[in-house]
Amino acid sequence: MIWGLKKIIKYMLGTDVAGRNLAVYPDDTFIVSYPRSGNTWTRFLIANLVHPGQPVTFANIERLIPDCEAMSSRYVKGVPRPRIIKSHEYFDPRYQKVIYIVRDPRDVALSYYDFSRKYRQVDDAYPLVSYVSDFVNGRLSSAGWGTWGENVASWVHTRNGSAAFLLLRYEDMQVDTVRELGKVSRFLGIDPAPERLASAVERSSADRMRGMEKTQGDQWVATKNKRSDIPFVRTAKSGLWKEKLPASSIAEIESAWGPLMTALGYELTSADAGTQSEVGFSISATRGTR
Amino acid sequence: MYPPKRNLKIWPDDVYLVSFPKSGNTWTRFLIANLAHANETVGFENIHRLVPDPFVTWKRDFDRMSRPRIIKSHECFEPRYPRVMYIVRDPRDVVISQYHYHRKCNKIEDGYPMKTFVERFLAGQTCPHGSWGENVTTWLTSRHNDPRFLLLRYEDMVADPHREMTRVARFLGVPADGDRVAQAVERSAADRMRKLEKAQADKSSLTKDSRKELSFVRAAKSGGWRSELSEQFAGQIEAKWGHIMTFLGYALATRDAASAEPELASFMPSGPR
Repeated sequence: MIWGLKKIIKYMLGTDVAGRNLAVYPDDTFIVSYPRSGNTWTRFLIANLVHPGQPVTFANIERLIPDCEAMSSRYVKGVPRPRIIKSHEYFDPRYQKVIYIVRDPRDVALSYYDFSRKYRQVDDAYPLVSYVSDFVNGRLSSAGWGTWGENVASWVHTRNGSAAFLLLRYEDMQVDTVRELGKVSRFLGIDPAPERLASAVERSSADRMRGMEKTQGDQWVATKNKRSDIPFVRTAKSGLWKEKLPASSIAEIESAWGPLMTALGYELTSADAGTQSEVGFSISATRGTR
Repeated sequence: MYPPKRNLKIWPDDVYLVSFPKSGNTWTRFLIANLAHANETVGFENIHRLVPDPFVTWKRDFDRMSRPRIIKSHECFEPRYPRVMYIVRDPRDVVISQYHYHRKCNKIEDGYPMKTFVERFLAGQTCPHGSWGENVTTWLTSRHNDPRFLLLRYEDMVADPHREMTRVARFLGVPADGDRVAQAVERSAADRMRKLEKAQADKSSLTKDSRKELSFVRAAKSGGWRSELSEQFAGQIEAKWGHIMTFLGYALATRDAASAEPELASFMPSGPR
């Protein structure tokens, strides 16, 4: 009983993290991705698109698009509906409308390494090669959201092709942000007027976000009390793995998730990657499983 | 005096028995309980204690349970589950079973149009565990061919329960000698479960608040859809999930299996996990 009371008190004080206990409403839209896949940038883009009248900052982003992995159940419940909610959850059947962002896992691993150091989860001396191995084999705290492959497969194989699912690649967003945000805009039922898209893109630029992180970092739940010498908004580039990731780490990632990476358009480079042919379901552009 | 639900503390030696609802989960629970607890009389009144359900079994009972535990679940892919036995069943039979179960639970009235039920079934609106396709897909794409995962087909269990239970026993690391398995199979026979259900209907949450004239333990057969499901509905299910069904070895009746072929490709996660 004590244990039950603790839960209730935590809820009332708002000291829990909503996570998977979040109360989901049918009119919610979720921005889902594995961590370090461009979710925060997408949140800013979408918040700036939906709320053109107010500048989006690290100080107000949780009110506009709350993070159910950082905020309390009570807080997220208090956000006016229809809500747009940020999440890292693996497939949750309750999520009806989902924007899913996927990023090359070789870049995700690199970005996560910096992030884990920023969060003091690993120290600077921890070798990148070991870190990548932990990443692939689900030995990091992020494995609570599944591995990269589990998280991506759980959403893409079930929902891709459904009208209530929008799959975005971080790499495509970088190449043509306006075009990809246009897709989001139509998905959300917002008129994709070119000025409106351009303004949202401008307001969410990496430079601007870096500037805001410097001045507002201590006001944001994700950066407060973390190492300030390592930025949360990092390079905002793709393909860095080609120069920064050791060949053995590249091979480890490709051998774990090669077929899924190929299906998502991420070209494999190591010789033995993805040759183990296990039968799976292809990502169909025309049909989801619901 | 409450079930822990998703807040159940999971131990590294827990084994989960997972399936979409109406796929033979209760029968398998009985089989496993009879295998693992050969000295107890397994019935509807104590099954929640022997193979507990985090949404039904009280937290107090979980706390008192000896480990390793075997825990029942209907959830879609859950990375926290250390080891999983996953039961699949032909969705054309699942839909019929679920239809009758919903009648029993007073969720739909007798004569509720099958057309509407099939549509809801396809859309994942007949239970809170995703659609059949979603539930199965999330597990197969994440864990198939992984040593921590055992895939069981309900149809194989019906055809040869002894063989399938031997696989289960090996997976669980419990003695798999012939007599012991045979006894568990016999003690979990449909006839016997039906009798237990009648005698204990008021004592089990599985049956206590539902229509008593409809049995929870139903046909215990596979392939009933051939006579009970119209071609139109079978066709709708095959059109949506034919690629998954073909992969699982469920022959399609309304379309060429080859029509599902382009959907099959080689990109299940492979490697160490």
